[in-house]
Amino acid sequence: MKMSKVSKVIIYILLGLMALYFLSPFIYMLFTAFKTEAEAIAYPPKLFPAKWLWQNFKEAWNAQPFGTFLWNSILVTVGTTVGQVISCSLVAYGFARFNFKGKNILFMILLSTMMIPWDVTMIPQYMEFKMFGWINTLKPLIIPAWFGSAYYIFLMRQFLMGVPRDFEEAARIDGANAFQIYWKIFMPILKPSLILVGVLNMISVWNDYLGPLIFLQDRSKYTLALGLAAFKGVHETQIIPMLCITIIMIIPPIIIFIIAQKYIVEGTSGSIK
Amino acid sequence: MKKKLATMLILALTGTMVLGACGSKEDDGKTSDGKVKVRFASWDEAEDVDAQQATVDKFNAEHDDIEVTLEAYGGEFDTKISAGMGSNDMPDVMYMWNYPAYAQGLEPLDSYIEKEGEDYKKNFYDTLWNYNSYDGSTYGIPIGFTTHALFYNKDIFKEAGVAEPTNDWTWDDVKAAAKTITEKCDGKKGFSFQMKPDPYDYEMYLWSNGTAYVNDAGELEGNLNSDKAKEVFKMFQEMEKDEYAVATEKSGTDEFRSGNTAMYVYGSWSINTLKEDGVNFGVVNIPSFGTQPSVSILSSSGISMSKDSKNKEAAWEFIKFWTSEEMNKERIGMELPVLYSVVESEGIMDQPEYAPFYTMLEQSSDYTPASFIYESWSELSESLSLSFERVFNPSAMEDPAEVLDEAVQQ
Amino acid sequence: MKQKKVLKRATPYLFILPWIIGFLVFTIGPLIFSLVMSFFNWPLAADPEFVGFGNYMEMFTSDKQFFKSLTISLKYAAIFVPLNMIIALFLAMLITQPVRGVKVFRTIFYIPTVISGVAVSILWGWILNGDYGVLNYLLSLIGIKGPKWLVDPAWAILAVIIASAFGVGSMMLIFYTDIKNIPIDVYEAASIDGANPARQFFSITLPIITPTILFNLITSIISSFQQVTLVMLLTGGGPLKSTYFYGLYTYNNAFKHHKLGYASANAWVMFVIILCLTALVFKSSSAWVFYETEAGGAQKKVKKGGKR
Repeated sequence: MKMSKVSKVIIYILLGLMALYFLSPFIYMLFTAFKTEAEAIAYPPKLFPAKWLWQNFKEAWNAQPFGTFLWNSILVTVGTTVGQVISCSLVAYGFARFNFKGKNILFMILLSTMMIPWDVTMIPQYMEFKMFGWINTLKPLIIPAWFGSAYYIFLMRQFLMGVPRDFEEAARIDGANAFQIYWKIFMPILKPSLILVGVLNMISVWNDYLGPLIFLQDRSKYTLALGLAAFKGVHETQIIPMLCITIIMIIPPIIIFIIAQKYIVEGTSGSIK
Repeated sequence: MKKKLATMLILALTGTMVLGACGSKEDDGKTSDGKVKVRFASWDEAEDVDAQQATVDKFNAEHDDIEVTLEAYGGEFDTKISAGMGSNDMPDVMYMWNYPAYAQGLEPLDSYIEKEGEDYKKNFYDTLWNYNSYDGSTYGIPIGFTTHALFYNKDIFKEAGVAEPTNDWTWDDVKAAAKTITEKCDGKKGFSFQMKPDPYDYEMYLWSNGTAYVNDAGELEGNLNSDKAKEVFKMFQEMEKDEYAVATEKSGTDEFRSGNTAMYVYGSWSINTLKEDGVNFGVVNIPSFGTQPSVSILSSSGISMSKDSKNKEAAWEFIKFWTSEEMNKERIGMELPVLYSVVESEGIMDQPEYAPFYTMLEQSSDYTPASFIYESWSELSESLSLSFERVFNPSAMEDPAEVLDEAVQQ
Repeated sequence: MKQKKVLKRATPYLFILPWIIGFLVFTIGPLIFSLVMSFFNWPLAADPEFVGFGNYMEMFTSDKQFFKSLTISLKYAAIFVPLNMIIALFLAMLITQPVRGVKVFRTIFYIPTVISGVAVSILWGWILNGDYGVLNYLLSLIGIKGPKWLVDPAWAILAVIIASAFGVGSMMLIFYTDIKNIPIDVYEAASIDGANPARQFFSITLPIITPTILFNLITSIISSFQQVTLVMLLTGGGPLKSTYFYGLYTYNNAFKHHKLGYASANAWVMFVIILCLTALVFKSSSAWVFYETEAGGAQKKVKKGGKR
């Protein structure tokens, strides 16, 4: 598609404006992380720090056992992402490509599980996990992900429903069973959305602090997000360490996002043939 | 078809059975090497946790048969404790300040205190015991407290040529000083107060003016909306209207730190931060209304035991350790020491930034906060918060008299 | 023969088995428990007391805050959901344009969603501070006296919307994935047929992504009702309770007022409301959502030779 010069300019302007909205708080945060605490709350606010205090980052990292937190975060993130991608694709496939008794009812039930406010099921869930002996372990954070999550199942189901019937027909005529069809035909088609779900999950789990807050007790099990939240005290908040850690925490997800972008875009042109 | 139905039913049953396995697994409260486990929950912020952990480790080293694990909840302390209480999984020992709300889950400590003997109890400032008790029983051993005092910025006062506040100041003095400072110093305000103060804290102003939220019987009428109470609200509102005071969105510490305000009333929590920032500040008693000495609210933190703890003796050992003189000394800077002996040995009263807090403590001894008297304090507190906003929020600025009368009606 | 048939019938159930197990073990127990709790007065440490429908009655008759919070959440949903979706779609279209450097913008738009929610709230709290915040400072530079965002009840809800729109990147990404995977031949064929970009958007892109629109619409509605963290940290429900969202109202009832039974009742009412809204959306979806599997034919013709 050839684009006229005018359209290009318009597009760049639009991109620029939106970027301003999204980037400026982030840039402000980035620069402020290098300031002293007094500079951070000064008014009128200044963008640039007087001195670039790189040691803020080191101090923030050492303020709590972030190395341990990092490891725990990695465990939970990888554990849940693998679990979600596998289980959600299976379940979504079941809902999208078959007709079976009770399908609609079950799907409505699935959707309705998304609507339950978490803070109220939190205490009964806590009791249940206590019964299992899972409190203060990473298990309540990882294991449920292997059984699918309504959000991603729904997402994948929508994508799957957009694939024409002919694909299955052809394969079925060739004698493939359902699982083979799932594995050999739909998984490749679904690759972009599998990666999408992987990225979305990774990021939301990486930043999740409510789950760890409720189910974990001693610091050796904390995740990064929980460590970050700990800078917020009852009376005062330690702004600088909080900003430093926030920035550090952003790096891995961004890297993963940039890498994943390629795959999300790969498109289906190859597999259709 | 039948087969499928049956499979589904069996699955459902299994699921429910797993849950229905009702009897909670008995946790015998012991670690693998036979030591008694004690869970200790604190609300200290990140930077203090390491020091706390070191102290906990010290206790563990000195006590062969007990192992204490530290659980640092930070700002989410209330959520965690509520969740713990709601699901019967409380830590054995925990910090505590909101006794009316949590007393039901705590162990009364009077018998333990008695066993320690008279001297143990006497070493604590008397008033503090009131704040750590509820309904006649003691539920917490005080570990720290703060009252409130008036902070002022010496540099700004010098700049404006105004005499520094003294312990005898009245609110009229404050108003005069604040006006002058605002006029003389560009971009600075003389005084700040919270737009949404903690209702618990704010009651001290009513006390200073001879009234309170409720009377001994817990009645609001005639107290919360008494003329004296309305006076207090009106005074602050006028300060804001006349623009020599600013109603801050948060505590006012940030504005004071950055030198934008000259005076504010606060607890001892900000002292360390102010020192670190190098602010040239002074502290005096809260100004009086002229009719009686001023009174301050007391925020006392204590350390409590869970009613359902399986290791009460061990928990008590830890509590004793944490409330000892040594520990009290270590916590100076985080909280004000609660033991007479420590205050003396450390010469606290000679330090000008700390002394006023103790003076306020003495002046505030016979007052009981409404939170201890009024049944549904958390709801009243929320309603009061809204009332504060209606009076102090610049977009509202309603007439205090009306707002208070309405608040009483609810 | 019969075995094969049974296996065939059982297949879909086998596929959705992981979710069913998870649902039975992790979800249904706590769900039923919370439903049961809603019929009790359930104080923190004392014994629960059965009150039947008492909690529900109280909500609808004597608790004024219930209706107020509900209205606020509905208002927020009504504004935020369409706004968010339009922005997300707009951005997604923007970054599919074949201009140079578009990849960079893609990442830029997505970065905010990667920042931890706690940090985002605190950051915006700073920026939006009425007297000392950055936004008003910038506005003052161009001569506008910014409102006290977090203090003025008229503006607070807008402040919350601004702060939550910050996270639009996720939805944008979902739209983007969908759009990017529409085969290019479709557009080319349309171009050849003389359709301009606008026409292409409305006749090709939009219909094809309707399943994703449905997804984003529903998840948006749900999350706007469950909004708690951002508003709790940013405004605390104020000023003057103008941003006292229903999710926060429920949370406070549970953890501040320690009325667990009442909070459970709150949650179930919200659940029913969301359920109804979602069902409505779903019902309407048969009119405007277009799944290729159902339409079947149209796509085939275009792909087969790229020519008509």
